[in-house]
Amino acid sequence: MTHITRRTALGLGLSTAFILGTNGSAFAADPIKIGFPANLTGNAASLDGPMLNGGKLAAAEINAAGGVLGRPIELVVYDTKSDATVISTVASQLIDSDKVISIVAFSDSDSVLAIGPQIQKAQIPLITPGATSPKLPSQLGNEVFLACFGDNVQAAVGAEFALNSLKAKTGYLLTDIGTEYTTLLSDYFVKTYEHGGGKLLGQDSYKTGDKSFTAQIAKIKALPEAPGFIYAASLVDEVTLILKQLRQAGIDIPVVGGDGYDSPLLLQVGGKAAENTFFTTHSYIGAGATPKVQAFMDAYKAANKVDPENAFAALGYDAVKLMADAIKRAGEVDSAKIRDAIAATTGLDGVTGTITYRPGIAVPDKSVSVIGVKDGKLFLASEAAPTFVPEP
Amino acid sequence: MTARVIVAGLALAVMGGIAFGAPSIMSDYFMRIILIIALNSIFVLSLSLSNGFTGVFSLGHVGFIGAGAYISGILSLTVQQKQSLLPHLPDLLNWFSLPFLPATLVAGLFTALLAVIVGYPLMRLSGYFVSVATMGFLIIVNVVLINASNFTRGARTFTGVPLDTTLPWVFGWLAVTVFVLWRLVYSPFGRRMKAVRDDTVAASAVGIDVLKTRLLAFVIGAFFAGVGGSLYAHYLGSFSPVTFYFAMTMNLIAMLVLGGMGSLSGAIIGVICVSILSELLRSVERGFTIGDITVPALYGASQIVLGFIFILIMIFRPKGIMGEREFTLGFSGSSAKSNLKQGKVK
Repeated sequence: MTHITRRTALGLGLSTAFILGTNGSAFAADPIKIGFPANLTGNAASLDGPMLNGGKLAAAEINAAGGVLGRPIELVVYDTKSDATVISTVASQLIDSDKVISIVAFSDSDSVLAIGPQIQKAQIPLITPGATSPKLPSQLGNEVFLACFGDNVQAAVGAEFALNSLKAKTGYLLTDIGTEYTTLLSDYFVKTYEHGGGKLLGQDSYKTGDKSFTAQIAKIKALPEAPGFIYAASLVDEVTLILKQLRQAGIDIPVVGGDGYDSPLLLQVGGKAAENTFFTTHSYIGAGATPKVQAFMDAYKAANKVDPENAFAALGYDAVKLMADAIKRAGEVDSAKIRDAIAATTGLDGVTGTITYRPGIAVPDKSVSVIGVKDGKLFLASEAAPTFVPEP
Repeated sequence: MTARVIVAGLALAVMGGIAFGAPSIMSDYFMRIILIIALNSIFVLSLSLSNGFTGVFSLGHVGFIGAGAYISGILSLTVQQKQSLLPHLPDLLNWFSLPFLPATLVAGLFTALLAVIVGYPLMRLSGYFVSVATMGFLIIVNVVLINASNFTRGARTFTGVPLDTTLPWVFGWLAVTVFVLWRLVYSPFGRRMKAVRDDTVAASAVGIDVLKTRLLAFVIGAFFAGVGGSLYAHYLGSFSPVTFYFAMTMNLIAMLVLGGMGSLSGAIIGVICVSILSELLRSVERGFTIGDITVPALYGASQIVLGFIFILIMIFRPKGIMGEREFTLGFSGSSAKSNLKQGKVK
């Protein structure tokens, strides 16, 4: 048997390291560098993957049209592996080695919280396409902007949709206490629903990764009065199981949730059980969409050979367009000026809606799409801005 | 002996030089890589005490790291942050905020205490049983972190921990860890640990208290795990229970096994190799161009290549890079074997 000694092993390792380390990548002349860290592997991959494809599409379109300020833009992409340690290392690579001028990053609040302190210290503006926690800017600082609506807005739309369109004056709340996103969504939902005169008949919780919801469903069945609908603050993996088990138990009332449902898995895994489900999300991407969305869908399909997987593809696209627009309005490639230009964005027409930042508020006012499932297909049930929005 | 003192002195001087000199010449990125290597060295060294030297293959080490991180995080938040992030914290904890060093020490002492409680029943077990039982401990820690939401914010991100962890701090704690473990492992007590590992029955037959030996190794390992956890918390600033779970466990065990289970320098070399390799692979998987050949980006490839290298090393060098020997730069080694050769063992 071949025997590798300690010295050979170390030597081999070091020489490999040297070869790999000395081989730098070649860059085209003078592009404007925008950092694009994304969780391309790990548990956020199904959201960040489409988001990156959308971002790349936007960059390609911008460059085909002559770039920004006469220079092409380049997305500096790193896989952050859904790992906080890798995120902090990548952040320093982007800031120190690649010297990016601004950053577009992530679809989940946890990852944005992990990168936040470093970009704040380096004073580099960051737009998150998909992290919906409206608390992020106040938790991190003035460099952080959301390209999407906040959870308070989508939860409010969900609650008002139940009250006004479903005419459900009583509801039941099921919360995944395993993530920041679902916990916040649930809190905001309760505030709006009760503000609008709805009455919760009860609530229950579970954790991300749970597979059996028998106990929770038994409690719903045991209620003296059947609720008009169920609000499930869930991620798609769990909500498909919840739906299947609910329908098996003979509970056919509507289930309403947030943009965590917005994945092809809802229909693929949920199947028939997904009927009578409604969720709030950033944009309706599917048959009968608006011309603007249809154009995006065609371009996405041409570039990636697949239809946009979910609204995060559109959010990635919009976030890069928003950043490019801000650089253009800043007039020069300077992080501080770009930050101010982002904050001053008004009426930017994107695939996921119009982006406007009110002074001092880094969460845009955007309308929310409510998507329903009927006969195994998605349809646009409503598009609305809420009349009451709970405080972040 | 003098040679060893010189080597140790030199190592300390180099570390001190890097710790204080590096910020002015190196980029933040390299500083972070060095810091993470040093931090992981603390984790893997403290893990080697039980898993490598005492033969208690614990899968619960990350439970101690997580507990340390949360304890120190809770203690270090400012009073205002506690009010906004942890409004239901008991009165006992919500009126003060500890500086970095005391918070780290408290975290270490707490995890050591935890190890005494957990270890007393568990250290009676051997082999696979202790692995499964300690894994149970890890799962319990995770569930407690998620459900004790008054203290930990539940599964939501624990954020706002001051970013106090700098290179001098980590190197300082690494030096303390190496010093304590070195004195421990190459002492009569260290030989008791190895005796317990190699043959439990024979060890107890010559009068070694197996439970006490294992428990002490476990508790000291847990202390440094807690300290490391605190450093990690103050490095990341925000983390959640899922940070301290199976992925991290596997990572640390891979580093330990790769470096060599019965060697302190092996533990450090394992950390250095795995860290540098995964950093390089992470850059390579983004795609690159050599001459006319362009390799496209292939995200996720780094994990596959790393796994493949682990398999190769385990096939061709099952004892890890260092095995049970220490890296000595040619000076007289102080492994048990060479002590025996030189007649140092009484």
